[in-house]
Order: sequence, then structure tokens, then C-alpha cells
Amino acid sequence: MLTRKQKRNNWILTAVLIIASLFFLFPVIWMLANSFKPDVAITNDMNSISAFVPPALNGSFFDNYITILTNTSFVRYMLNTLFYAAVLIILGIIVNGLAGYALAKINFPFRERWLMIIMLLMIVPMETIITIHFLFIAKLGLLNTVIGYILPMIVNPFNIFLFRQVFTSLPDDIYEAAQLDHCSPVKYFFTMVLPMSKSVVATVSVFTFLNVWNDYLWPSLVFTSGDLLTAQIGLNAITSNENTTMGQTLAVITMVTIPVIIIYSLFSKQIVEGVVSTGSKEG
Amino acid sequence: MGFIELKNVCKKYDKTDKNAVTDFNLSIQEKEFIAFVGPSGCGKSTTLRMIAGFEEISSGELYIDGKRMNETAPMDRGISMVFQNYALYPHMTVEKNISYGLKNMKVPADEIKRKTDWAVKILGLEEYRYRKPKNLSGGQRQRVALGRAIVKNQKVFLMDEPLSNLDAKLRVSMRNEISKLHRELGSTTIYVTHDQVEAMTMADRIVIMKDGIIQQTGAPMELYEHPANKFVAGFIGSPQMNFYNIRLDGRTIIFKDNNKAELPETIAGKLSKYKNGLIMGIRGEDIKLDAQNLDLNTGSRQKAIIDNTEIMGNENNLYFEFGGVTSVARVSKYEVSHIGDTVEFVMMPHRMHFFDPETEEAVVL
Repeated sequence: MLTRKQKRNNWILTAVLIIASLFFLFPVIWMLANSFKPDVAITNDMNSISAFVPPALNGSFFDNYITILTNTSFVRYMLNTLFYAAVLIILGIIVNGLAGYALAKINFPFRERWLMIIMLLMIVPMETIITIHFLFIAKLGLLNTVIGYILPMIVNPFNIFLFRQVFTSLPDDIYEAAQLDHCSPVKYFFTMVLPMSKSVVATVSVFTFLNVWNDYLWPSLVFTSGDLLTAQIGLNAITSNENTTMGQTLAVITMVTIPVIIIYSLFSKQIVEGVVSTGSKEG
Repeated sequence: MGFIELKNVCKKYDKTDKNAVTDFNLSIQEKEFIAFVGPSGCGKSTTLRMIAGFEEISSGELYIDGKRMNETAPMDRGISMVFQNYALYPHMTVEKNISYGLKNMKVPADEIKRKTDWAVKILGLEEYRYRKPKNLSGGQRQRVALGRAIVKNQKVFLMDEPLSNLDAKLRVSMRNEISKLHRELGSTTIYVTHDQVEAMTMADRIVIMKDGIIQQTGAPMELYEHPANKFVAGFIGSPQMNFYNIRLDGRTIIFKDNNKAELPETIAGKLSKYKNGLIMGIRGEDIKLDAQNLDLNTGSRQKAIIDNTEIMGNENNLYFEFGGVTSVARVSKYEVSHIGDTVEFVMMPHRMHFFDPETEEAVVL
């Protein structure tokens, strides 16, 4: 039973949290409400409470969205990004997962040193090594290609570490039992280790998705033009076009935001788990 | 040559100077049920894991069915194993757990089904067939682990303390089931346990180990009746055998507290060379309190005050100070004594075991 004082404190805390969350929600609500309005209405409503109220549902309600979807390649960019994310999730789980497994369960010389080095890599920001990545990919002649974009993104020390932490706690006797069941090490990894570690697989998938979806710098360097652009680059290209209206800009931003909101609301548990288990957040 | 043959098998871990297992020699016949028993850290599990192939054999040789197995991968040794913590695949149902090995061995689907049905049936797992391990009790999980081992039709069964995570009642019934299963399947079984009761009740032969060295190998009753040394004598049997440091004066045993007992000439004669004393051991059931035995051995009657009793239901354990140590006598449930009672008893001279005080080896009488 909560005491009267605890109850009161709970009420106060809830109220404070609601007010605080409003500060964060206002811009989003404003974006969403105005993405349905023509520019004139946006300017008119700017100083009143109607700035947070969507317009009446009429024939022109979805005009901004329809213009963007029909006149630009934005759908294409969104699908591109989803495709990159899917490929990077699969490759990332295989490569980082195997590396994490080796660091957790296989005895090899200097294993602890390797782990240290990989952990040190976690503190190196992407921005500091991105020029090297760029030069490397350019030398390989892979600029403006899907492979060129994906290759440097596969290995992720943070994910290796995350996998390693979870795999360390897997019992060894299951591996021994599987050996007697004629299960090869590779098969063991895919049919036992990954299914037994569903939550870390989910966490890594979510982080990878958010990483790919929100990344701007790397795709902006690799993709100079054309059909391969990601949603973020496409967003920039569309909004910086002088023919694009304010309402259309907000509609694009809304569309880019929606998948992130969906992912966060569906997988908040995994995201928190990932942050808690490693004490850091990336993505 | 036995079906499984261990020749001078040693295990030495890196960075240690002591062997975990030293010169392990054993020949196991086909269909035999062998138990490795000993206190924790005695090397019994290490030996089993060397037979399974999970631990490298540092030196010595292992043969299974006539073939040298030292470098053979675990899956090619023709063994199946039951693990202490079951080691079930947590994301698979009971049925999939049992059939997983068969699938990997490319057994035809109808045969997999037939074998799985059979295992599920004889282990009484029908209603749990589609459950995952986390929804099973400890006993059911252990049955699944057994099922996984028996469907593969391997000739050798290894069991590493399979019952140690179960409660006492379940342990007894699983003990029975494993014994029955062994008789039905006729596979050669090596069973590791720290529980001497399991070893005594299930095994054809017991191997007792201590500090990586075999102390004695033999049938359960052989070990019970003729322990090779003080360690085996103390390890087998519950309550533990009573040990006394004694001196001999002719035919007379003199205990530390100067109590005396008479030995028959035949026994005393063989002990005469132990001038500086020796260790005498006697099991609780060979200390008699009944009138008939007291009358037969009037010369060796002893007296003691009971300071604790354990009522077991079928029998009673009486504890008392005698000969400088706490001793225990096992008497029938009809012989009721209470704490504080003074009782008279005799130690049956023909049931005494004698051990060399230096080596603790048994003196052959």
C-alpha cells in the first residue's frame, strides 16, 4: 500500500512529467498539424493556438503529401533506405554476431586484448574516420554504389560488444549437447545461438535500423546523385529545392519521422535493454 | 579387451602442476553400468568428459569398441550424454529437442517420427510433447534429456550427475527409471555421481576416485564389504564407518580412552606386526546392542552414553562418544534408546576392518 505522502508525490511526479513531455511533443504536433495546411494557413495560424490544430478534413487535406509522393522520388528514397537497413541488419547480425561469439566462447591467443581493442573502437566517433572510409571506397571505385555504401557500415564495435556480452552467458553444455547431436559449429551459431539470444538480435536490429535511417553524413558522401539516395539525403534534396513549400517540407519530415516513432514505440524495451547492458547508446 | 578401454589416461591442465586425473586404467565390458563416484574435484567428471571428447586427453589412450578415440571428434565416438543441467535447447519443443540429433544425422523422416514417438512414450512425455523446456519441471526436463540421448541408438551412454538437481523423492524414482532403461536398451553406461547411494543402487561396478586417482574398482557389495583403503571405507555406506586409532596387546584392542575389546586369535595373529597401533573401522550396523549378541561377546562389552539419536523410521542411528571419537550405531527400529541413556554394546570382531596407519591401506585378514 502506498502511503498518502507517496501517493501525493506520485501525482506531482506525473504532472511534472506530462508538462515536460509537452515541451518535446509541441514541435512534433506542430509539424504534424501544419503538414496538412497550405503555406498561407501556416503563416496565418502561426501566432494562435490553431498552429497546433490540423485543418478541417476536406478535399485538399492531403495535398502536400500527394505533391511530394507524385512529384519527387521520395518513396523511392524511403524504399532504398528500408532495403539498406534490411541488408545491414542481416549482414550486421552475421558478422558482428560471429565476432561476438568468437570473443565470448572461442579460446584464441590474445582474445582479451582483441576485446579491449574493439571496446576502444567504440569511443572513436564515425566522423573522425569517415574521410578514410571515403578515400578507401573511392579507391575501390565503389562511390555511388550500394556496396560502397554498405561495406563500411557492416562492422560495428558496439554491436560486437553487445553480442559478446550476451553470448558469454550462454551455457557451454548446450554446445556440447549440440555437438553430440551432430550439429556443426556454423549450424550451431544460426540454429542455437541466435534463437537463444532473440532479445540481443532484436536490440541490434533496432539500433541498426535507426542508425541507417538517421544517418546523413556517410550516404551524403557516397551517393552524389541518382536513384540510390537514402531518405535523409532525399529529405535534404527536396526541402532545399526552392519550389518546395513549407507545408510540403513538413509533410516530408513527417514521413521520415513516422518509421522512427513506430520503431521506438514497438521496441522501446530492446532499446532500453541495449543501453542498460552496455552503458552506452548509439544510433 | 573391454568395450571401452582407458589406458594410463592422464589429464593435466595448463598452468597447473598437479594432474586432474592420474593413470586412469579401466576396462569396461559391453552393456555394463559403471559408476564413477567420489567427492567433488576428484576427477570423475573430467574423466567422463575425456571419454566424451570435450576434454583433451593429456596422455594415455582411450579405446571404444576397439578403435582409438583420443583425437576423434565427440560426435564420431558413438556416444550420447546426459548433462547435469540438462542442456536442453530452450527454444525448441520437447519433440524437437529429442529429434534434433536424428535430423542432423539425416535419418529418414518416418524413422525420426517412430523413434521420437517411442522415446516420448517410454519416458511418459506424451502430454508435454509440444511444450518448451521452460514450461517443464526438473524431472520432466531430465526425461527429455534422457530421451534425446536414447533416440540416437548410440552404444555408449554417458551421464554426468544427471539427478543432482532433482529433489530427493524424484531422485529415487528417476534412479529406478534409469536402471530400467539401461536394462531395456542394453547400452554401456558410465554414470558420474558424488552420491554413493546412486552408485551403489544402480551400478554393476563402481570406480571410486579421489584426487584424480582410482581408489578401488569393484561391484557395490565388494566395495562395501572389502574396502581397499580407509577412504573407500568411509565414502561408501551411510552413516559413515566408525574409525578408531587403536593399539594391540596380544589379542586385546586398546582404544584411545583405554576401553578394551578382545579379538579372535586368527585376526590378532595377522595384525601382530603393527606394533605402533593401527586404524580399526567398523560400520554402524556391526555395533550390536541386542541381548543375544551381548551374551555371545561378554568379554568385549562396552558402555557409552547416547548423546544424539536419529530416528529414520525403519531403523535408528545412535550417536555416542567412544574410543576418543563420536561413534554411530545403527540399530533396528525396535531398539529404542533415548539421549542420556547408558547403553551396552559389542563391536562384532569379524566385521572389523583394519587399516595401516601410514598408508591407510586395508590390512588383508
